Amino acid sequence: MNSLATAPGAHAGWVVVKFGGTSVSTRPRWDTIRRIANDWHARGKRVLIVVSALSGITDKLKAIAEAGGDRSRREALRAEIVARHEAMFAELGLTERAPLQYWLDRLTALAVDARAETGDLPWQAEVLALGEQLSSTLGQAYLTAQGLATRWLDAREHLLAQAMPNQTAWGCYLSASVPTAPDPALAAALAAHADVFISQGFMARNADGETVILGRGGSDTSAAYFGALLKAEKVEIWTDVAGMFSANPRIVPAARLLSRLDYEEAQEIATTGAKVLHPRCLNPVREAQVPLAVRDTNRPELAGTEIGATVAAAAPSVKAVSERRGITLISMESIGMWQQVGFLADVFERFKRHGLSIDLIGSAETNVTVSLDPSENLVNSDVLSALAADLAEVCRVKVIAPCAAITLVGRGMRSLLPRLAGVLAEFDLLRVHLVSQSSNNLNLTIVVDEAAADGLVPTLHAALVKSEALRAEDPAVFGPAWSELYASAAPGHETPWWQQRRDDLLALAAQSTPRYVYDLATVRERARRLRALAAPDRWFYALKANSRPELLQVIAEAGLGLECVSPAELELAATLVPSERLLFTPNFAPRAEYAAAFARGARVTLDNLHPLQHWGETFRGREILLRVDLGAGRGHHDKVRTGGAGSKFGLSLDQIEEFRQLARRHDVAVVGLHAHLGSGILDAQHWREVYAQLAALAQRFTRIEAINIGGGLGVPARADEAVLDLAALDACLTEIKQAYPQFELWMEPGRYLVAEAGVLLARVTQTKRKGDYCYVGVDTGMNSLIRPALYEAWHEIVNLTRLDEPADTLYQVVGPICESGDVLGSNRRLPGCREGDVILIAQAGAYGATMASRYNLREPAAESVI
Amino acid sequence: MSLPDPRQAATFRFVRADYADGEARLVYAFDDGPELVERIGFPDAPELPAGREAAFAAALRLLHFVAGISYYKAGVPRRIAVDGVAPDAETAQLLDTLYLHGLGEFAYQNGLDLREHIRFPRAGTHTPAAALDLPARSLLPIGGGKDSLVSVELLKRHGESATAVWVGNSPLIAACVVTTGLPGLNLRRQLAPELFEYNKAGAWNGHIPVTAINSAILVVAALLYGYDTIAFSNERSASSATLEYAGQAVNHQWSKGWEFERTLAAWLRSHVAADLNYCSLLRPLSELAVTRLFARESRYDAVFSSCNRNFRILGPRPADRWCGQCPKCHFVFLALAPFVPKPRLLAIFGRNLLDDESQQQGFDALLEFREHKPFECVGEGRESRAALYALSQRPEWREDALVARFRDVVLPQLDAAGLALEPLLRPEGPHGLPPRLAGVLDAFR
Repeated sequence: MNSLATAPGAHAGWVVVKFGGTSVSTRPRWDTIRRIANDWHARGKRVLIVVSALSGITDKLKAIAEAGGDRSRREALRAEIVARHEAMFAELGLTERAPLQYWLDRLTALAVDARAETGDLPWQAEVLALGEQLSSTLGQAYLTAQGLATRWLDAREHLLAQAMPNQTAWGCYLSASVPTAPDPALAAALAAHADVFISQGFMARNADGETVILGRGGSDTSAAYFGALLKAEKVEIWTDVAGMFSANPRIVPAARLLSRLDYEEAQEIATTGAKVLHPRCLNPVREAQVPLAVRDTNRPELAGTEIGATVAAAAPSVKAVSERRGITLISMESIGMWQQVGFLADVFERFKRHGLSIDLIGSAETNVTVSLDPSENLVNSDVLSALAADLAEVCRVKVIAPCAAITLVGRGMRSLLPRLAGVLAEFDLLRVHLVSQSSNNLNLTIVVDEAAADGLVPTLHAALVKSEALRAEDPAVFGPAWSELYASAAPGHETPWWQQRRDDLLALAAQSTPRYVYDLATVRERARRLRALAAPDRWFYALKANSRPELLQVIAEAGLGLECVSPAELELAATLVPSERLLFTPNFAPRAEYAAAFARGARVTLDNLHPLQHWGETFRGREILLRVDLGAGRGHHDKVRTGGAGSKFGLSLDQIEEFRQLARRHDVAVVGLHAHLGSGILDAQHWREVYAQLAALAQRFTRIEAINIGGGLGVPARADEAVLDLAALDACLTEIKQAYPQFELWMEPGRYLVAEAGVLLARVTQTKRKGDYCYVGVDTGMNSLIRPALYEAWHEIVNLTRLDEPADTLYQVVGPICESGDVLGSNRRLPGCREGDVILIAQAGAYGATMASRYNLREPAAESVI
Repeated sequence: MSLPDPRQAATFRFVRADYADGEARLVYAFDDGPELVERIGFPDAPELPAGREAAFAAALRLLHFVAGISYYKAGVPRRIAVDGVAPDAETAQLLDTLYLHGLGEFAYQNGLDLREHIRFPRAGTHTPAAALDLPARSLLPIGGGKDSLVSVELLKRHGESATAVWVGNSPLIAACVVTTGLPGLNLRRQLAPELFEYNKAGAWNGHIPVTAINSAILVVAALLYGYDTIAFSNERSASSATLEYAGQAVNHQWSKGWEFERTLAAWLRSHVAADLNYCSLLRPLSELAVTRLFARESRYDAVFSSCNRNFRILGPRPADRWCGQCPKCHFVFLALAPFVPKPRLLAIFGRNLLDDESQQQGFDALLEFREHKPFECVGEGRESRAALYALSQRPEWREDALVARFRDVVLPQLDAAGLALEPLLRPEGPHGLPPRLAGVLDAFR
């Protein structure tokens, strides 16, 4: 018996804790359950534990329920289930067999029941319920044996399902609903019996006293029902993740834990994508005003996600971005009279007739467009065809699919619209079919072609954080990033070289600022990493990123070629590498430059018809590479995307045939295909796609020897961005290479080699306070480093003089240029800065000095190499 | 290494072919140039069972002659020479026909007339081959597209013992084979590396009859591993010509056609083994009849691809498997559409090709409307027209851009009598199914 000193008083409140399949499948997990229940009990609460079946058992029971006349299959499954529970009984060290045997006997009886032959629905419900009846029976015995007196509660005695209008027989038995309201009499009656109870998720009884099943997410829903009935102080759903996140962590590792949501926000997030909580379980707790928390069994120290009533004073913020795929839109154009009465009623009646439920609705004067979620019924039956035929009686129907619905969730969405401008710009080139914003001010959903949705959620999430529409820094709403909580083992960020060489850098800064400093060892290391990849045959460093001769020397020594875009670059490169390692890839260059490049022996890339149309003689008998535009561009900013009709680079795919004919006419051999779609890409799949598309295209040519998939290897700017996985990249490339062994693979990295090798040192000139803003001015700005102004690039900024002091002040770091865009970094936490401090701007080795200017007649930063 | 332009060569030579330890080595040369060695790998090959030696030697010779087409076409010299024993007249005739028709599209694309070039030397006669009592089971080549997967399901339903076989390294085909649940056999094929050098030196390039090469490889495999049937999945439409050129019908898929099947099957019975069957299960069917059968089974939706541009690549997203731009993508999309629920079809392709105006020209070519049928393995023009007509009558399709255009622009110019779907779905025409597999045809009815 329990010997706790703090016996609960007469008015002790209730806490409902729910555990899923993996949490009840081993003895250590049952010890965790005991500890959690015990903690609440020790704090004076009455505890109701709701459990799922052991892992995998419900699937086996379902297989029995659906085995039809296959008696031997039912018997085999029954034996497996019995064996699993015998093993669990032994693992838990239990001795009293009778309670378990009772349910195992029920299983045996049901498996040979005559109703099995027809798959009778009430029989199926009884079969499915056994999983939780077995697990809760084992749990009751174990918890009690371990000193926590626990009483077994039959969920069916307290949860009474009610048939819904139009509910099918299947729904009544296997997807039932239970109306619940606080029942103080029940709470008091239970309190008279014990302090700790264990019951079954997933089931209830109907008005006839038969067993019914609650359907998907049923155990969470049971916990919510009990929470409402008992008017619990809290319902806790214990699972394998810390809670709900601001995006699906599998595609957005930077997604933040949501510390606090209101019921409606949680409902939206659960409905639009998050799998951790079934949306059905929110309504009962909302009606009863019972708080619900999602928590991680393995990380009980984390508070998880708390879901409760709306906090009036909370600042509006986007809480999450999610996507649902496989959406079908039905667009209906009215063919009747303007403002025809009853049109919507006619239309919606037909959806109801076919059992299809509508999700989103958008309307115009003569058009209504609705969305349908992908259901088994929709994809594998002719229901859509039948619906369209019926709808055609009253309107013109168009089916638009497959679509993806991207939803932003957060209370106060309307007041966030101004901040969303930059976020919505991400939808720029995509076909947007429908936008829906409900009047409850909670969500904004945008429906686009599914094919266009790849990579969109991570991009949107980053844009939401950047625009502060998602207030990631607000600890009242957001917790840590998923990657911080769970991905610590993933290939991580290295300590930057400049931390180790701080004294050398301060000494250099003492001589003069502003100053770029490059670390050759870092360049050498990056080059070594690239050369270690198996798939690429040749590398060409894109000289424009940084053309400092000492760096080029290191890169040339590592065996890379040099990719040039101007005669001056070619001239410099020719002093460092032999001509066969020179690649000339200009854009809209004059004729003479091509002739000069051939004269140097460089490989030349064309990306337009014009040169062959008008200057055929310059190219006669030459070998060239062709740069094509594969369409959709990618990258971290509009201005670094180099694919798509809006980009000036590359030959359009529909002109390739004409290009081939021109080449043939002038005896020009196309020996390589090239595409480069953008910069700062961190997803290895991107190059796989480019490679596969180019290789497929190359089969239309006869002389192709090389496929040049460009560069754009991303360098993560922020600590919460994933590092580009070079091994994964190599594996992707190798797979394609095996399919097309006849082509050499070339790549053109630029930023990857040099960005992290360079820092910009600047000195604090003045500080200023204006309203809530603190400005710290430094002695150079966009004249030295234009990336923040031009690309909105984010560079880490530290106060090198005070590197060890706490970063407690929020600064806008600005330069001296007379231009309001001369901001090197906004909202940066730094130690209090004083005049003369040395500020370090990191990852400035690429497109820094090479893009510098004398704007305002201020000299840009000098350069030195260490 | 730099090689001379093979177009300047006077003679193409079949040098020799041998087999050892699971590898066939096929050797060719232009004039006295370097030996070009193609290697075909047969994994875990057993010792050749006694009694099959003569048949195996005949099969290896056939493979040598047929696979030579990849190299011959680089130069198309005026003379073909066979070092050692020349083929008998019947074999030489088979090869002349294969080379001439199999390279028909190649000749058209390169503006060549090969009739003066292709003549295999011939000598002697042959003695008719005996029956070898080969095991009653089938080799079923898998291409990753819909056709062979339809055959898989037909053979499974028929209770036939079959092995899924494929040539080369394709993750996509490997994934399809796993999904079939049949045992798999992956044969290797490695072209002579010098061929790439010849290409750089200016070789002719273009389409070759790869089904003929695969057929010859499978004949060797059938004797080695013991199968009495090689069951391809070529349908009726494969026999129809793409266009006429220089008074000659040019068919992109000639080696998938009935004429080649019938000729090769007869040759194999007379020259290799009287009980070796070479046939195509789907021969009496139109492409549309095949797509209708395919629609019955959804297990392959996420793994199959008929796209020739992306077919070597296996990826999780539809765009990895279907480029959406090529004639195969256009045709398979169109041919499945009448038989598959629209949401399922769009999920397979990841997009709606018939609602994309930029694809108009591609679909026009399939309809043979102002364009000629593309050089790809696609169905007949009347099949495409009937499929699109069927869609134009269906409310869930008829507002899509290219379906609406068909209704408004193309349809008024067509003869309505030829647009019915049903007649095109009936099996008809000759087929070469052996008696054991004749029952497979019942599934077509």
